[in-house]
Amino acid sequence: MSSDLLVVAAVLGLLAAAAGAAAPAKLRAGLTVLLTVGACGCGFAAAAEVLRTGHTAVVETTRVMPFSGFSLGLDPLGALFVGVAAVVGACAMIFRLGYGSHGLSSRTASSNLPLFVTTLLLVPAASNVTTFLYLWELMALSSLVLVLTDHRSRAEVQVAGQWYAVMTQLGAAAILIALVLLATRTGSQSFTAMAARAEHISTFVRDGVFLLAFAGFASKAGAVPVHVWLPRAHPEAPGPVSALMSAAMVNLGVYGIVRVGDGLLGGGPAWWWLLVMTVGALSALFGSLHSATSTDLKRLLAYSTTDNVGLMLLGVGASGLFAATGHRALALVALAAALLHVVFHAVFKGSLFLSAGSVQQATGTRDLDSLGGLLRRMPLSAPVFMVGGLAIAALPPLCGFVSEWLLLQAMLHGLPSTNSAIAIAMPIGVGALALTGGLTAATFVKAIGIGLLGQPRTEAAVSAEEVPASMVTGAGVLAALCLVLGVAPFLVIPAVLAAARTATGITVPDPLSRGWNLGLTGVHGELAPGLLAGGLVLAIGLAAGARRLAQAAAVRRTEAWGCGRELQTARMEYTATSFAEPLIRVFDDVLRPAQDLDVSHTAESRYYVESATFHTSLDDGFERRFYQPVASGLRWWGALARRLPNGSVHRYLAFGLVALVVVLVVVA
Amino acid sequence: MPVPEPGSPSVQAGAERSRGSLQLRHVDAGSCNGCELEIASIFSPVYDAERFGIRLEASPRHADGLLVTGPVTHNMAGPLRKTLEAVPNPRVVIAVGDCARDCGVFKGAYGVAGSVADVVPVDVEIPGCPPHPAAIITALRGVAGT
Repeated sequence: MSSDLLVVAAVLGLLAAAAGAAAPAKLRAGLTVLLTVGACGCGFAAAAEVLRTGHTAVVETTRVMPFSGFSLGLDPLGALFVGVAAVVGACAMIFRLGYGSHGLSSRTASSNLPLFVTTLLLVPAASNVTTFLYLWELMALSSLVLVLTDHRSRAEVQVAGQWYAVMTQLGAAAILIALVLLATRTGSQSFTAMAARAEHISTFVRDGVFLLAFAGFASKAGAVPVHVWLPRAHPEAPGPVSALMSAAMVNLGVYGIVRVGDGLLGGGPAWWWLLVMTVGALSALFGSLHSATSTDLKRLLAYSTTDNVGLMLLGVGASGLFAATGHRALALVALAAALLHVVFHAVFKGSLFLSAGSVQQATGTRDLDSLGGLLRRMPLSAPVFMVGGLAIAALPPLCGFVSEWLLLQAMLHGLPSTNSAIAIAMPIGVGALALTGGLTAATFVKAIGIGLLGQPRTEAAVSAEEVPASMVTGAGVLAALCLVLGVAPFLVIPAVLAAARTATGITVPDPLSRGWNLGLTGVHGELAPGLLAGGLVLAIGLAAGARRLAQAAAVRRTEAWGCGRELQTARMEYTATSFAEPLIRVFDDVLRPAQDLDVSHTAESRYYVESATFHTSLDDGFERRFYQPVASGLRWWGALARRLPNGSVHRYLAFGLVALVVVLVVVA
Repeated sequence: MPVPEPGSPSVQAGAERSRGSLQLRHVDAGSCNGCELEIASIFSPVYDAERFGIRLEASPRHADGLLVTGPVTHNMAGPLRKTLEAVPNPRVVIAVGDCARDCGVFKGAYGVAGSVADVVPVDVEIPGCPPHPAAIITALRGVAGT
């Protein structure tokens, strides 16, 4: 049943891609969206079936790829990611219906978008190395084409495309080497066979496979220090594409790390997972710091993706560390928390990126300092963004709170440990999570307060209008899910637990209760999201009632006392740049902002200022200190190598002679 | 314009409410600061208006009325109206000095919008250029009922 649904999803997705390439311009959008949403529906149904029954859905055929065979095997771990991709994919496609700006209606983009969604649905289902790598590359290439949609009109898109292409291909090469190495040592390329025989290969090879796979998948996930493509590519991609990349594609990086580390290699020594936790904590801190200081709405969201991927990796690493030191129940809880965060991050980041796309379409800009006053002008899209923002800031009763709470519980309960690795790693992890939480809250106070509230700062923001219903629906469904899943996390907890069990192979009794209250069995820790939400509603109701009663007497309403000033213009408003300034100052040593104050004096006296210009910019430290030196080194090397072939036949003959002599000397 | 005596209906209403206590927000609507010097001196140890329950407030939200000095300039007409709007009812407006009453020496100047009474309703006027501190205290005691 579920394997049939998987096939139907793949076929519908491919049909949608074909329709995008062949259908006439008028039908193109409607047809591709309809077919792709159908594919997402089938994918979701298949995933739900697998998660419910726990049986793997298998599709095998040798007709597509004759030598290796095209092989899909959807187990609960993959099904969780398929389900997430299906929900985000369907919402992004519905959103795409009304998304007019950008060149998404061209044949290239219309056929690549369904292809991208389809590969997102199929990658987690791949069950042999060839199928996996084939789908992985298809996903990377189709998303690259989509990132480049606007390459003609904006130069930044081309640069972003280059960064993305290089980083994703380097990552894919690392994954390729890792998986091929594992396949040759285990003598099979089927994932199940590899997992069964992985114990017997040498430690050295296992370490190599894990490190390569971790590097490759981390680059797809956007973890520090291989995140540099992410804050460039995500903002430049069209709205629905950036939502898909950020809410569905980066998840697959986390999927890969869990699949290879826990699944194929069957867990490993503590230092693997300490490495994962370190990368996770660094990503969380670096991402949240940069998103708190960004003034570009989509760049801010992109850095916050790095931040959230960091939290997921923190959970994955903690889980591996617990498993390596024998705390099996906690390992399951930590992985469940990480996977729960995958689900919830997809939901809120999807709604945030989609509504940021709406803002961009309505105003034509992503710069927070040129926005403002959008809540009144976009009465539907702005609240959707606000719900997503509150969810990502982990405020109850929205979903971000639940997963971060669970992650914190998992790490805290590891603490009274005799193992020194755990005793050191967990407090640092908890600290990183806490600091990240604070920075994220500041980030979204900025994004919501400056972007949506207040007075409009530019003409573009003044003339903003609400976007079409399909766009509001696409983003709104995800925002509604933020609330529903936040109040009733038991809807996804069983799925997440099933996935975590499949990944780790741990068979302890359920460490999480599945009722309205989310409790950890065996340790003290319980959360009642339903009560929390109910209490909140009651408190708001009481406050509103009390206010009404208090206002029953006649009240004269006047404007707020502003010391009698008459003008209140947008120029007096707080800007995103000034909001971030104290943070930049506090984290000066980490961020190293470039600041330049240029003051020119009048000719008569240097006590009188003629003009003053202040310029500040903040770039990515890793990009400046690591990638740019490497890139310029490569360029230098290339220029050097170009001097060798100068067209002289004599020189080429000399090269041949030297090579021959060297070979003879070495062989002899 | 007739000078309302400290006993007119609205002043009495204010006095009823704030018997023994008069909190005032001072608004300089364009004064030469002569009246400000005299207002400052009524709170000095020599005159000590606070013993009659008269005090200056920082916020009009906490005040029983306004103490306005100077002719009202064009730039201050709006802020004066807004400040009065921010004072809760019942409230008194006290115009201090000749300029506040009828623009004084600044009458007809290009920057002057008019006297305080031209901009907001005035309850009490205190004549003088500047008025003597004792005169100010007498008028304010009439309003405070002390």
